[in-house]
Amino acid sequence: MKNKIGVYICHCGSNISDYVDVKKLNEITAKIEGVNIAKDTMFACADSTQKEIIDDIKSNELDSIVIASCSPKLHLETFRNVAIRAGLNPYNYVQVNIREQCSWAHSDDKKGATLKALQLVKAGIERVKRSQALEPIEISSRNVVLIVGAGVAGMRSAIELADMGTEVYLIEREYFVGGRTSQWNTLFTTDETGEQVIKRLYKKVISYKSITLFTGAEIVSKSGGIGKFDIKLKIKPRHIKPNCELDWKKFDKAVSVCPIEVEDEFNFGLTKRKAIFMNYKSEFPQIPAIDTENCNRCGECVKICPEIDLDQKDEILNIKVGAILLTTGADPYEPKKDEYGYKTLDNVITLQQLKRLIELNDDKNLSYKGKKIKDVAFIYCVGSRQEEGGNTYCSRYCCTSAIHSAILLKNKYRDIRNYHINRGIRTYGKQELLYKESSENGDIYLQFFEDKIPTVEKSKNGATIKVIDILTTNREIELEADLVVLVTGMVPRKDNTIAGILKVPIGRDKFFNEIHPKLRPVETVIDAVYIAGACQAPRTIRESIDSALSATAKANSLISKGKIDLEPTLAQIDTSTCEWCGKCVDVCPYSAIKKVEKEGKQIAEIIESNCKGCGMCMPVCPSNSIQLIGYTDTEIESMIEALIS
Amino acid sequence: MSKINPEFTNELKKFGAVNINACYNCGNCTAVCSLSTEDNSFPRMMLRASVLGLDTKIETSLDPWLCYYCGECSETCPREANPGELMMTLRRWLTAKYDWTGLSGLLYTSIPALIIGFILVAIAIIGVGYTMQFNVESIMEFGHDFEMFAIMGVFSLILVPNIIRMFWFTVLKEKIKVPLISYIKGVWDLILHMFTQKNALTCENNTFRWFEHFLIVIGYLLLLFTTVFLNWFETENTFVIWLGYIVGAIIFVFTFDFILSRIKKSKELSKFSHPSDWLFVIWLFLMGLSAFIVRIFIDTDLIDSNIWLYFVHLIILAQWALLIVPFGKWTHFLYRSFAMYFKKLEEDSK
Repeated sequence: MKNKIGVYICHCGSNISDYVDVKKLNEITAKIEGVNIAKDTMFACADSTQKEIIDDIKSNELDSIVIASCSPKLHLETFRNVAIRAGLNPYNYVQVNIREQCSWAHSDDKKGATLKALQLVKAGIERVKRSQALEPIEISSRNVVLIVGAGVAGMRSAIELADMGTEVYLIEREYFVGGRTSQWNTLFTTDETGEQVIKRLYKKVISYKSITLFTGAEIVSKSGGIGKFDIKLKIKPRHIKPNCELDWKKFDKAVSVCPIEVEDEFNFGLTKRKAIFMNYKSEFPQIPAIDTENCNRCGECVKICPEIDLDQKDEILNIKVGAILLTTGADPYEPKKDEYGYKTLDNVITLQQLKRLIELNDDKNLSYKGKKIKDVAFIYCVGSRQEEGGNTYCSRYCCTSAIHSAILLKNKYRDIRNYHINRGIRTYGKQELLYKESSENGDIYLQFFEDKIPTVEKSKNGATIKVIDILTTNREIELEADLVVLVTGMVPRKDNTIAGILKVPIGRDKFFNEIHPKLRPVETVIDAVYIAGACQAPRTIRESIDSALSATAKANSLISKGKIDLEPTLAQIDTSTCEWCGKCVDVCPYSAIKKVEKEGKQIAEIIESNCKGCGMCMPVCPSNSIQLIGYTDTEIESMIEALIS
Repeated sequence: MSKINPEFTNELKKFGAVNINACYNCGNCTAVCSLSTEDNSFPRMMLRASVLGLDTKIETSLDPWLCYYCGECSETCPREANPGELMMTLRRWLTAKYDWTGLSGLLYTSIPALIIGFILVAIAIIGVGYTMQFNVESIMEFGHDFEMFAIMGVFSLILVPNIIRMFWFTVLKEKIKVPLISYIKGVWDLILHMFTQKNALTCENNTFRWFEHFLIVIGYLLLLFTTVFLNWFETENTFVIWLGYIVGAIIFVFTFDFILSRIKKSKELSKFSHPSDWLFVIWLFLMGLSAFIVRIFIDTDLIDSNIWLYFVHLIILAQWALLIVPFGKWTHFLYRSFAMYFKKLEEDSK
C-alpha cells in the first residue's frame, strides 16, 4: 500500500474551477489518510507545474501521485512522463477525470459537481494506494511484412519497405498484379495509363530480392500476434510449367481452342474470356494463367502448348511475418436491377464499364451493342450519398472520374455530347480543372435533389431521361441519350473474408476501420495490422499511395528494431485456480488466450503479444481466475467503496 | 417540360456568345448586378436557358433588354463565362427573332452577306447618280427625298411590324392580361426610357458612359432633325446651321471614343466586339464626320466641285438607313425602350 501520495487538483483555467470548488476539494483531500501533499493548480499540464510536481516527488520522496484534471485520453501520457522524469514508476500514477466526467457534465449543479469530484478523487487515491510498479513487456519481432494485395498501394509499399531493409511478402489474389488501376486507361493528372503505372511499379518490385511476390494467393489462417504472426497461404496454380519461355503465337492459338467462355470481369462483363487468359498482353507477370475454377481440363490447349500443365495443384505455404499491411482495394458499386434501368434497358452501363468500353472501341466510332453512340448521359451518385438503404458516404473519386471520362470521350470522338446529371460536383483540388475543361467543351450539367431523382425510360433511339433541374428553377428537363452511364462509387470488396481471419474491425460503411481517423489513420486495433488504400475508404490512386506510404513507415518503425515494447496492462491467469472451461477463449476478440497443459492440468494461457487488456475475459471466468493487471479486483473494489462512502 | 437543345449554343456563338458553357451556376453574376431584382432575376437564368437551349424561354423573355451591359457580371464571373456578353448576344438574337424579314439574322451571322449588302447599297446609289449624270442639284434633291422615304419606309415596313412581333412574343403569347389604362399610362415611361436610358444610371460607375451615350442619342436625333427636316424645308437659319455643325461634331467625337475603347478593349463591355458592334460605331462616326464636312463644303460653296464628297456621305447614309437601322444594332433604341414598356405592362397586370 502506498502511503506517501501526492494529489494535484487542476483548475483547468476555469473549466473545472467554475463549477467545482477546487479549494474546498483540496482542503478535504489533504486530510485523507496516505496523502502527503495536496495542491491545487491553475494548469497541471503547464511546464512549470510539471516541474513543480517532479520537485515535490523528489523532495518528499512520494511513492505515488494522483492528478485530478481532464480525460486521460488527453494527458495520461503527459503525466506518466512526469512520473518517469521524477524517477517514479509511471503505473504508480492515476489520473482522475473531473472535467469531462464532472465539471462539464454538471455545470448546472456546483454543489453536486464538487461532491462528485471529491468522490472521484477519493476513488483515485484508493486505486493508487494499491497500484503496482509495472514494466513494459518486451517481445522480439521479425523484420518481415506481409502485404495483402498487389495493386498500386501494395506494390508502392513493398518497394519502400524493401528500401528500408524490411523483407516483404507481397500476395495477390488474382493471377496478375495491378488491381483496379490496371483496368483504367489514361489517368488524371499525368496522362499516364494505368498499364504504364503498373508496369513501372512491377519492374521495380521484382528488382528487389527481399520482395517475394505470390499471385493467386490468399491467407487461409493466422496465428500469433504483433511481431510474430504465423500465416498460412494458399496459392492457386497457374497451370504453366515454371521457367519456360512462352511462345505468344502458341498462346493465342491455345486461347482460340479453349472451349470455355466466361464473363470477363476485367471488362466488367462487357466481353467474354476463355479459361486460359491474360487480361492484356503487357500484363504482369508475363505468364498467362488458366483459371482452375472454370477450366474443364479438356486438354485442347496442352496439345498446342506443352508448357501447360493441368495437373498443378493448390500449394499451401506457411510464412512468418512481424506485421501485416492490408491493401486489398475496393469493388465498384453494382447497381440494383432496374436502378435507372440497369440491366433492364439495353443502353445503361456503369462508369467502370464505360472506361473499359472506351478502351475496347476503335478511334473512329464509339458504339455499344452495335449502336453508334452520340449522346452520353452520366447519372451521378448512383449507390452513393443515399439517405436510406444504400451507402450514405460520398465515394469521392467518381465525379472526377466521370468528368475525366467525358473529356476522354470528347477528345477521342469529336461529335460526342455529354450530359452530367449530378447532385453537386465534387472535383476537389486540382481536379477542378477537369470540371472547367469539360464545361468549356460544351458538356451540359444538370442537378437534382435526392428526393426527386431522374427517370430513365426506353425510347426509340435509346433512353429518355427526365430531370427536375434545380439549376433551372426546378423545371423538368428532358433529354435523349444513346448511352446512360451510371456513375457508381466504391464499395468494400465483395469477398472480405480476410477481415474475419485477421479480426480487422469493419466500420459502419463496411470498409476496414482505423483506430483514429485523424491521429492514427493507418493502424487498426489489431496491433501490427495496418490498412491502406481503398480497402479503408473510397480513394484516388494518389490518396491510396499516400496512405500506403504512411502505413509503410508505421510498420517499419514498429518491427525493424527487432523488439517491441507492449503495455503491461494485460490479463493474467491464476494457474492455481483455473479449471479450463474455454469461456474466456469464446469472448476474447483478439485470439489472445490458448489452452495449455501445465503440471498435468489443462489451463488457459494469455498470448501476451495478442492481449489488448480489454478485460472481456474477466467477468465470464466462473472461478475468477483472471485478473487484469492495473485493474485488479482489489483496485476496482476499493474504488467502488470510496465512491459510495 | 422542356427539351434540351445542345446545338443552341452553337447558334448563339454565331451571334457572339463567348464561353457560356463554362458557367457553373454559382449566381455571382445575378448577385452583383445592380439591375437584377427578385422578380426580374438575371443574367444567370438567361445563361442557364442558353446553355440548355431553351429558346422559347428566351424568346418570351424581356430580361436581355433590361441589361445595360456595365460588365460587372463578367468581371465577377469565376469561370469567365462572360454573362454580360451573353446578354448582348441575346439582344442580337432577339433582334433577329423579332425581324419578320429574317435579314437581321442573316446579317448578324454571316459576314459575306453583310459585305454583299453594303456593296449592293453602294452600287445602287452610284447607279442612281449615274442616271442623273452626277448633277449636283438633282442628286442632292434625291438625297433629301431618299432620307425621307427611307425613314418612313423602314419604320412602317420593318420596325413597326417587328415591334408588334416583339409584343406578340413577350406579352400576348405569354397570355399576360393587361388593363387597357396601363397601355396609356406606360407611354410616358416608354418615351422617358427611349430618350434618356435612365436605367443605365443604376449600373455602378456608369455615369460617364451614360452621359456619352446620351449625348450621342440626342446628337443623332438633332442631326436627323437638322439635315433631314430643316434642309427639306431649305431653312437658312444660322442657328440651325450651327446646330448642324455642333451635333455632327458631337457624334464623331464621342463615337470615336467608343471606337477607341473597342480597339483598346479597355472596358468589360468593349472586350468582345461582334461585327455588328464595329459597324454600328464606325458608321455612326462616319455619318457624323461626313455630315460635318459636307456642311462645311456646302457653306463654303465648294460642294459643286466636289460632288464625290456628297456621294460618299450619301452612300454611308444609305447603308446606315437601309441596313443598320432596320436590321442591325440601331434597333436596340426601340426594342430596349419597348421592353421597358412591356415590362411595365407585365407588372401592372399582376
